[in-house]
Amino acid sequence: MPGPTTTQELEAPVVERKDGGGGGSPPVGGNGGGDDEKNRGRRKPSPKRYYTGVAVGIVAVLMFFMALASAFLVRKGGADWIPVRIPALLWLNTAVLIASSATLEMARKRLAHSDSAGFRKFWLVTTALGVVFLCGQVVAWRILVAQGIYLASNPASSFFYIFTGAHALHLLGGVGALLYVARRNFSQAQVTQSVAAEVTSYYWHFMDALWLFLLALLYLGR
Amino acid sequence: MPSPRPGWYSRVFSTEHKTVGLQYLWLSLASVLVGMVLSTLLRVHASWPGTIAVADSSPERYAAIRLLHGSLMVFFVLTAAPQMGFGSFLLPLQIGAEEMAFPTLNLLSLWLTVASLAGITSSFFLSLSQGIDLWLLSAALFSVAALLCALNFCVTVIELRTKGMTLPRMPVTVWAWFVNAILSLLIFSVLLAGCASVLSDRLFGSHFFSSATFLAAQPQNLVRAGSLPVLWQRLFWYFAQAEVYVAMLPCFGIITHLIATFARKPVWKERLVVLAICGVGLVGFCVWGYHMFATGMNPYAPLVFSVLASSLGVPAGFLLASWLATLWRGRIQFNTSLLFAVGFISLFISGGLSGIFLARHDLSRAAVSEDFVIGHFHLVMGVAATFAILAALFFWFPKMFGCRMNETLGKIHFWMTFAGVYLVFMPMHWLGLLTQSNLLSDAQRTVVASAGASIRTVVTLATICTVTAQVVFVLNFFSSLLRPRMLESNNPWHATTLEWSVASPAPRSNFQGAPPEVYRGAYEFSGNVPDDFAPQNLAPKLLVQKET
Repeated sequence: MPGPTTTQELEAPVVERKDGGGGGSPPVGGNGGGDDEKNRGRRKPSPKRYYTGVAVGIVAVLMFFMALASAFLVRKGGADWIPVRIPALLWLNTAVLIASSATLEMARKRLAHSDSAGFRKFWLVTTALGVVFLCGQVVAWRILVAQGIYLASNPASSFFYIFTGAHALHLLGGVGALLYVARRNFSQAQVTQSVAAEVTSYYWHFMDALWLFLLALLYLGR
Repeated sequence: MPSPRPGWYSRVFSTEHKTVGLQYLWLSLASVLVGMVLSTLLRVHASWPGTIAVADSSPERYAAIRLLHGSLMVFFVLTAAPQMGFGSFLLPLQIGAEEMAFPTLNLLSLWLTVASLAGITSSFFLSLSQGIDLWLLSAALFSVAALLCALNFCVTVIELRTKGMTLPRMPVTVWAWFVNAILSLLIFSVLLAGCASVLSDRLFGSHFFSSATFLAAQPQNLVRAGSLPVLWQRLFWYFAQAEVYVAMLPCFGIITHLIATFARKPVWKERLVVLAICGVGLVGFCVWGYHMFATGMNPYAPLVFSVLASSLGVPAGFLLASWLATLWRGRIQFNTSLLFAVGFISLFISGGLSGIFLARHDLSRAAVSEDFVIGHFHLVMGVAATFAILAALFFWFPKMFGCRMNETLGKIHFWMTFAGVYLVFMPMHWLGLLTQSNLLSDAQRTVVASAGASIRTVVTLATICTVTAQVVFVLNFFSSLLRPRMLESNNPWHATTLEWSVASPAPRSNFQGAPPEVYRGAYEFSGNVPDDFAPQNLAPKLLVQKET
């Protein structure tokens, strides 16, 4: 328990700091900087917040899909459930997505070895593979539509479209992040390129794993 | 060096956490005023049908008023004010950070909330079908806003604590915001999924909820012919069960903080209080999960739900014990802020006790009538949380605006509101038990129903009085702002946490680029000497100097 003190003295540190100014230890964990553009440009905040941010974001996205998955499992027992035959193209798409994760890692390895050109090459290949996956998903939908299976056909088709659609939307965000990292000039940025690449890679691999889960759910849960 | 005064654009669209926090609070203030007027309309309609044209035109209009009242209060007051409003304003200050982890995200979630408010309000003026679609879209927008806000809170607490601000030294308010952010993260993503599914059903004809065969398998009490389909109830339960805890958790933190400060005593069993707050978050989430399970799969699984709902009593009871023990033999400063905090405890006990009836599935069958449930959740969630918000506003008003609110007007407002809300919601419990109990025969029920009419009138009159009493608050609020009286010091309450170590109102740059160092816990008070408190950032040598 602290001993007796007076208010004036307890407020002394405030005054002291304002007058003295100096002597302040550097910020631990970094500072956001608020509106102060000059400050923001000068001091790079700790990159840890981006790692934590992407981890927390992944939890939220996971929860979104888990809610849909639990609805899927609950709903699947219904008498009106007509299973969707998964188009074979999805397997190819899956291979493309897994390959994109692999090229992403290769890109990061190049970056770690300061091979900027190699990094750029593999990074763009990853982005291209992501786009190919998305196009493949659209083609898969068109195949289903050609078979007369629409979003509104039956509960199973509704779930098929919402799972693949929601995943595609999230992956589109990932493609956006890949393009951002590829085009951004990091000399002016708050984070280094390797941090941005690593944070993006976490999200991308998560999207990859999530797709495998969804595919397994759609395939096994027929 | 003083920075130039920013233009209106950069002030409205500022990423600064204090501006964003205040904007949330203004949003809540507007919503609560409109929400209260709507509740008066509803009460007047219940007592004297035919007097309110809007409510009388059709049952749908009446339901729309109820929905607007509920949405405004739940989303934009109970969720927005304690967490997003006070949280955004105070969290970085209390942990010694200059800003939130992602200031732009903070701004984005504010404006998504504004868009959601605009959507929900305009849905009231549209046709029924369009209105429902817009409402769902707005609820989805609000979910996204709440998710972004929660993400920001989590990262800020984890990453931006200043030197020495270890987890045990964090103020209980910060703990509550943190746990609540985790809970929000988990439940709002589910609400978002629910909204997306329901919207897809309505707009694109998908079959997540609306299949006839699925509805036929549901128990009859869930699907009433001619009523809005089961979707509404499903959506409601998706969200509402956990939303109670989302609204209450930050209030628990605020109340704990204020009671320790005004009783001039450390929080009784602070570590266990933090554990209890985590417990409320955890069990709150599970109760919600089981409720969804129950509506989706097996509606006759009340035992698990019942046990879980009752187990909430353990952490809630512990929090209560801690508040009372902290007050016990404290040198209590009875100002308006503390009065509202004690009012919160009182309402929490009253509402919590009636909750026991509802958590037991056998008792709830007798007690569960609309009036009883309305009385229960308004006491424990609506009014109690509002009292916590008011307590917080009186407490942090100097930090926000650099002046105090008028204490005399504040106390008048407190007593009028305190008496008013009990007069409104206690008789509602009786109404629920008396007039609609399934235990009575039809003949008895008719007799009691006529007696119920007079109770209903009392409730309506009390509602009108309580809502009118808020004029005192509005008067106090704006007169304090327009004619501010200088504060005697930056720390008028002699509080210990970091936000009071800077000027009041808080400067644009929180700590002027020199983040404070924290040396001790957040509640180091000792009740012997008037000014006996140790700010978290007071260096030990300064403290020792004084002692010697």
